[in-house]
This record gives sequence, C-alpha cells and structure tokens, in this order.
Amino acid sequence: MAKTLDVRGEICPYPMMRTVSELKKLTAGEQTLEVVTDHAPALDTIPTQAARLGFATAIEEVGGSEWRLVLTRKENAS
Amino acid sequence: MATNAAHVQAGLTSARNAGATRDALRAIAAWSVAGLVLLLVYRIDTQFARFWAFGLAFGLVLQRGRFCFASAFRDLFLLGHGRNMKGVLLGLAIASIGFAIVMARQVPFLDSGFLPPTANVLPVGMHTVLGALLFGVGMVVAGGCVSGSLYRMGEGYAASWVAFGGLMVGLLAARFNWNWWWETSISRSPLIWLPNSLGHAGALVVTLLALGAVFVAVLWIERRAGMVVPAARPADEMSNSVADDLRSLGRTVFVRGWPILIAGAALGGLNVLLFTSQEPWGFTGEVGRWSGELAAMLGATPPIPLGVGELPGCVFVPSDGSLANHMTFMVGGMWAGSFAGALGAGEFKLRFPAQPVRYVQSASGGVLMGYGSGIAMGCTIGAFFSSIPSLAINGWVFAVFLGVGAWIGTLIIRRIA
Repeated sequence: MAKTLDVRGEICPYPMMRTVSELKKLTAGEQTLEVVTDHAPALDTIPTQAARLGFATAIEEVGGSEWRLVLTRKENAS
Repeated sequence: MATNAAHVQAGLTSARNAGATRDALRAIAAWSVAGLVLLLVYRIDTQFARFWAFGLAFGLVLQRGRFCFASAFRDLFLLGHGRNMKGVLLGLAIASIGFAIVMARQVPFLDSGFLPPTANVLPVGMHTVLGALLFGVGMVVAGGCVSGSLYRMGEGYAASWVAFGGLMVGLLAARFNWNWWWETSISRSPLIWLPNSLGHAGALVVTLLALGAVFVAVLWIERRAGMVVPAARPADEMSNSVADDLRSLGRTVFVRGWPILIAGAALGGLNVLLFTSQEPWGFTGEVGRWSGELAAMLGATPPIPLGVGELPGCVFVPSDGSLANHMTFMVGGMWAGSFAGALGAGEFKLRFPAQPVRYVQSASGGVLMGYGSGIAMGCTIGAFFSSIPSLAINGWVFAVFLGVGAWIGTLIIRRIA
C-alpha cells in the first residue's frame, strides 16, 4: 500500500519541503510514497532529497502539467 | 497477455503524442503572435523591438530551465542542494568575462576616473545592505524572486501574480521614501568599480576566483548534506523509428527541463549581448515606474526622485508621460516568452494555491522585494546578476546580504509549512 501526498497547488518550495517531511514520517514497514505535484522544479530537487533518505525516485508524466513521483525505499537503505 | 500490454502501451503512446502535437500547435500559435508583435513594433521603434526579442529569449530560457535565483539561495540553506546556484555562478562567470571585455573598450584609460556609462556600478552603503536583506527574506517567503515570479506568471501561477502585485506596492513605498534614502545614504555612498584598483584583467581574474570559491563552498554544502543524484526523468519508451527519434529530440528541447548549466550559461550570454546592445538586464526600475503611474492616476503622485538621472541600474525611471518604453517591452517579452515556452511543454496550467496563507505569503514577500529592490536599485538581476559582472563591489555586498536574508526567510517558511 502506497501512501499518497498531493501537493498540487503548492508554491515553491512546499512541494519539496512537504515531501521530505512525509518521507521522514514513513514507518519502517511503509515502502512507498507517491507524490502528486504540478510544480516542475520539484522534479529537479525531490530525487536528491529522496535519495539522501534512502528512496529511489521514478517519475510518471500524468499530463496537463502534473507528475506523479513514486518514491520507493531502497533495499539496503542505511 | 503480452498483446494486451502492448496495446495499452501503444494507446498511451499515441495519447501522449496527440497531447504533444496539441501543445506544439499551441506553442506555434503563441510564437507566431510574438513574431507578429516583433514585426509591428519594429516599424514603430527598433529599440522596442530589440527589447521585445530579448524579453522573449530571457522568458523562454527561464521557463525551460526552471531557473530561479531565489531557489538558488534558498535551496542551499533549506535542502543542501546547490543545483540552481551552480547555474547562477556559471551565468555570472560568463557575463563577467563578456562585460569586462565591453567595459575595457568603453573605458580604455583607467586613470581618467570615468566609469563605464551603462554598467551597474551603484553606490554601495546601508541602502544596499538593508535592501538586500529585505529582498532576500521577501523572495523566499514569496516563493520566487522577480524574474522567477515573472516567468511563473507566464506559466499560470496565480500566487506569482499576487507576488507581482506586492512587488508594485513595495516599489511604490520605496519611491515615496526615495528622497530620504538619497539624502541619508545613496548620495553619500561610494561607487567602487574594481578595475580602478585592479586593472581590467585583474578585476576580472579576482571576480572569477571569487566565483570559483563560492562554487567550491556550494559543493561542500552539498556534500555535508549527503549525496547528490541527477534529476530523475520519466522513463522513455523505445525509439523504433526516425519519427520516434525526432519526437524524443523534440521532447528534450521543448518539454523536458533544460540542464541548469545550459540555462545559466544562456542567461549570462544573453546578458552580455544585451549589455553590448544597450544596457545590462534589469527591470525593477521600470516596474517602479508602472507603480508611480498607477498611483498618479489615483491621485497620489510620488515625489520626483532625486539623483536618478546620474545613476545606472534599476533606479526609478521618472514618469515622462509615455505609456511604454524599451523596458516595458522587455518585461512584456519575458511574460510572452515564458508563456509560449510553457505552452509548448504542456506546462501552462492555472495554478491556485492550496492554502489561503500562501496568498498572504506571496503578497507580503512581494512587498518586501519591492521595497528592497527599490532602495538597492535592483533585484537579483539588476543588483546582483548584472552588478557582479559589472565588476562592481555593490554586487558582492548585495549578494552577501541577499544570502543572509534568504537564510532568515527559510526560517520563516519552515514555520508556516
């Protein structure tokens, strides 16, 4: 089961900030966070923030200037 | 089963291609209108047309590069992420080299005491410090600086329109206070142009070394925060034909974000071209003129600003009754260029903030930016991106306190998440 975070409509830098705080709140059993955003700069910053917390990022273009970022916990996260 | 998956994939691909075609047509329409405006304006005034063209170029590069000076500073403190700052530094380096060459031709004999006539060499004093601090706080709270807000206005961000409104209010307030600032600080402050003490080449070398030192500091900040991974991209499908290859190329240029270093280099290069053509990039003086004209229409004419005739940069442009000048076309071009770029990328979308507090942030951040850029005679462009390449000390002083203000701003926005 993936948790979802919808940050559409948020101004800079809240899509990134809120993603980071949600990732930090995930329990050990929660492997995936799906972030839905309409803010293009988030595509450049979230992958690094996610990687530092041990998550890999996959991006899907939903269309209409919206993206779904699927952040999955990496197997050997520190 | 495999056939079903292939069908679904084909369906998604053709839907995506249809969307891309629609976006391309919209963009072509927008660019055609922009081109028509260029031709029409050229007949009225070639300078206006030139600035419209520059505006289009700046707006397009900002939008395609997702380039924001505010996030360059903010993300260093907030996220330990230096991507945008690296782009800014490269743009500054390229512009410095170009500006230095032009200025060496403008002022060949340094003991004459002349300053380059159009470079952004501005009096540096308390107004620079306070202006930069206010601007730094404001740009982080508002979610974007002036150029960032301008390009996001073209993408459909309602919050950026609100920030722009705040900017106009802040600039108007600074206009009403300008004469006090002129008398107390600006008229008494020195103009320090590095070539006067270091020579043309020496000033450029010192500037580039300083930019290099900042670059190393950015790398250190990033390493301290952890690893850095490249921006992820949506998975590309297999290219099976020349048509697919062309579509993929089209996506890279018109849809996917540009690498930040390319955008930064392009902005630096465009600034050199603009400076060679007329003057460095900068527009808060012009927006301040709009505020003054609007206020005058409502019966509250601001006082005539002292000293502005002698100063370059984004000092307040006094009202001369004209509706538009070359800078008006620059700003208009930036909106049009980012709008057309966003259309082509399918990134134009009317975006309204999810929470009402964001409107307050955008407005108040805008006011701070307006007042700060009013007294500092420029924003992240005029007082920073065009001042450092002008080899002027005011650019560095502005940059330092901009950073301090941005850091304070990050403390504030963390609280109102």
